[in-house]
Amino acid sequence: MPARRLPLVRGLVLVAAALLAALAVACTDDAEAPEQPPEPPPPTATPEPAGPTTLTVITHDSFDVSEGLIEQFEREHNAKVELIAGGDANEVVNRAILNAGNPEGDVLFGVDNLSYSRAVAVGVFEEYESSRRGDIPADIRAQFGDSLLLTPIDYGFVNLNFDPAAGDPPSTLEELTEPQWRGKLVVEDPATSSPGLQFLATTIAYFGEGRWQEFWRDLRANEVRVEQGWSDAYYTHFSLYGGDRPLVVSYTSSPAAEFFFSEDPLTEPPTRNVIPGPLFRQVEAAAVLDGTENADLAGKFIDFMLSDAFQQQIPETMFVYPVIGGLELPEWWDWAEVEVETASLEFTADDVDRWIREWTEIMRR
Amino acid sequence: MIEPRGVSPRSRAPAGRAPGAAAPAGGPRAWPWALPVLVLLAPLLLWPLATILWRGLAPEGVPDAAAIADVLGDGYYWERLVFTTAQAVASTAVALLVGLPAAYVFAHIRFPGRAVARALVTVPFVLPTLVVALAFQQLAGPDGLLNDALAWLGLGPVEVVGTLWAILAAHVFYNVSIVIRLVAGVWANLDPRTEEAARLLGAGRWATLREVTLPALAPAIASAAALVFVFSFTSFGVVLVLGGPGLDTLEVVIYRLAIRLVELPAAAVLSTVQIAATVAVLGVYSLLQRRTARPLAQRSERARPLRDTSWTERGLALGVAVVLVLLIVAPLAALMHGAFTVGAAGAVTAANFARAFEDSGRLSFVEPVNAMRWSVTFAGGAALIAVVLGTLAATAIARSRGRFAALADGLLMAPLAVPAVVLGFGFLITFNRGAVDLRGSPWLIVIAHALIAYPFVLRAVLAVLRTLDPRLPEAARVLGASPLAVWRYVELPLAWRALLVGAGFAFVVSLGEFGATAVLQRREFATLPVAIYTSLGRPGLANLGQALAMATILMSVTAAALLLIERVRYRDIGEF
Repeated sequence: MPARRLPLVRGLVLVAAALLAALAVACTDDAEAPEQPPEPPPPTATPEPAGPTTLTVITHDSFDVSEGLIEQFEREHNAKVELIAGGDANEVVNRAILNAGNPEGDVLFGVDNLSYSRAVAVGVFEEYESSRRGDIPADIRAQFGDSLLLTPIDYGFVNLNFDPAAGDPPSTLEELTEPQWRGKLVVEDPATSSPGLQFLATTIAYFGEGRWQEFWRDLRANEVRVEQGWSDAYYTHFSLYGGDRPLVVSYTSSPAAEFFFSEDPLTEPPTRNVIPGPLFRQVEAAAVLDGTENADLAGKFIDFMLSDAFQQQIPETMFVYPVIGGLELPEWWDWAEVEVETASLEFTADDVDRWIREWTEIMRR
Repeated sequence: MIEPRGVSPRSRAPAGRAPGAAAPAGGPRAWPWALPVLVLLAPLLLWPLATILWRGLAPEGVPDAAAIADVLGDGYYWERLVFTTAQAVASTAVALLVGLPAAYVFAHIRFPGRAVARALVTVPFVLPTLVVALAFQQLAGPDGLLNDALAWLGLGPVEVVGTLWAILAAHVFYNVSIVIRLVAGVWANLDPRTEEAARLLGAGRWATLREVTLPALAPAIASAAALVFVFSFTSFGVVLVLGGPGLDTLEVVIYRLAIRLVELPAAAVLSTVQIAATVAVLGVYSLLQRRTARPLAQRSERARPLRDTSWTERGLALGVAVVLVLLIVAPLAALMHGAFTVGAAGAVTAANFARAFEDSGRLSFVEPVNAMRWSVTFAGGAALIAVVLGTLAATAIARSRGRFAALADGLLMAPLAVPAVVLGFGFLITFNRGAVDLRGSPWLIVIAHALIAYPFVLRAVLAVLRTLDPRLPEAARVLGASPLAVWRYVELPLAWRALLVGAGFAFVVSLGEFGATAVLQRREFATLPVAIYTSLGRPGLANLGQALAMATILMSVTAAALLLIERVRYRDIGEF
């Protein structure tokens, strides 16, 4: 009796084999046919001058740059740049750690001052000293202990964005726990969101160890809404986009970005920055990945990210501040140039893990 | 075929062995079918899964018993497990409550636009949860249509988002099509004479439904329920976006732990618990289903045109239409409305679509046509593999008996139970060396999608194989049909519809997949959901509008693809 079914197997296997073969052909065609030049040969220890060397760059999801600038880099260095968008700062570091010694790429961009120490402890980076390192302000380099393993590229601040339709904004963090702001604030989860973690760091710097927990307990009692990521918080709960909350944890540059991405010509941004005190400063850095066969080219890419041309583009491609000062920036960026006092906060990788664990206990359980 | 098997529940009681199991006795004969499945799953699923779990459970090379005991001793996690199970049971119940009447209507009434409606109810499957959350917020949020309507009636407002209700509604929104498609497919081909015979013998309308129709549909209903349960049990995006404190599912807890990496040990323990719980539930379900499955008398589709239906049926159809419009069409319409109006200050505009296609000159720009091409390529490849894997696995299970088969049935559903973030990490640290360095290969996406998709084919096909009357192929054989002919003219036509339903789901699951794709993607082969999330990662009306425009494109392509898949006929059997 079972014999009568056998042709089904044979038939299916044949059909499957044929279809898979067809798919294989289709996939290779698709991968190589349009836009992209043919696959370069795999990088070897002694790169031939003939074909371009592939440089694989792992970045956070928000990385962006104009195609023209990248093409210029590719021409100058006979390189082909491939990008891996690896999630946010935390996830990018995870990928590096999971692939320690056998890196997915040659250079990594997007590791920040809250996440770098775990990666450094595992030893996933190689030292590199860029020729422009001296142009980076010392206090920014100090965010990574001035280690040559990391080269700061940009920085930014997370604060509260306010919908002016709701009247007058709060002026201190304490006010957020008062009845008039009940159910008015949406924040991001520090375990899953980079801006969420930065805002937590700001509150820890503001209230101090041992006291920030009380603030968050009060916030929870005051019906703060926690979202897993920035997009969820901003686009679904912020009143500017039809949500019910006029206060959202976002970037100091968001009002400027709103202005930049508005459909109708505006005379000023539709949202306001609320800066309730000193803010934690997030610094994003690039690093050469340990084990790469293209360390030289990786270094060149870091130099490229510090070049005036790249740094000048940073505001309108990534909405953060360039580390190199004195550059001419777009006019609309003036809206993002707000007075910010940088919070001072000393911490280790273990501290960050503990903050998130305690925060989760308070807010999720 | 007229013999009304199982008119009374007593007729199945004494034997303790379902007539469906009268098919060839199991054991070794299942192996030819199971072997290729194992050969494929071992390296693609089990190896990476074992690698990452071992890394979590035994960071130093030996299992860290103290750390494992710590996690297992934490009451919070058990509380999450109970909550996860409870909300999954509730979601499944509501999905059945909404889906079964709808399945009746789809199976029995040939109303105008039926094919489009059937495609439409499946569209939610491809939508990124964030986009769905946006739609829900517009409909049920504080300033949404629901509260506007309540205010007009002098009621409300109600807060939905952030409550269990939002999660249940979203689970039904996503999953009701599983019930509709799997059950309607079988219901449509049910021989009406069995029911007529029961009526003739004096059974009332309800008694007939209870004693004849529902038992005959039991395998299909059970298959659908199992899928909805597993999907809701391991629900992730919906809960992250629409849930709130105290509403985390186990999968969400695992995700929040795993992405911190230092908490990988706890994540690995909980993943093991989640997989074990799913396999156990499905194993028990499989055992139960085996007992209740019976051969089904099937004949060609019995749907009647609307004018030939009774007033009761028209009333039911109207009720189903109202519920589906409110639950599924309204959120979809809200999204499309947004795509055409966001950023236009109240006017209707195509600017968001134009912008989606306009090259920004930035590296982040994803050309929508190119993204769609990759999405469809991945979905096609994943659906093919899923059809082969799912059919083989379903046949293997249908042919074997005993507890081992039930366990295998549960295990084969494991891809749905494995937390996506865990499997993604597993892929990253497994396929990363020498000859199997697949990092950056588009094949990894096809494989990941196929793994998530094949359980749909498995469940759809198994539901039919379990109800196949063994006398049909036997009769064909006696009449001199070769084994090939039996397969082609008897079994394939009977399983064809189920195979198509499964393939359709596999295709759609892949089209909408984001979790695994996000880990494995490259810019060169970014899919449409990836492009949508990229746009949503930036502030500004223009970016929101562009994301909604791309979601509208994704919805349209999905509906078109489903309509196309439904047109694939087996010879002239057509709707059978």
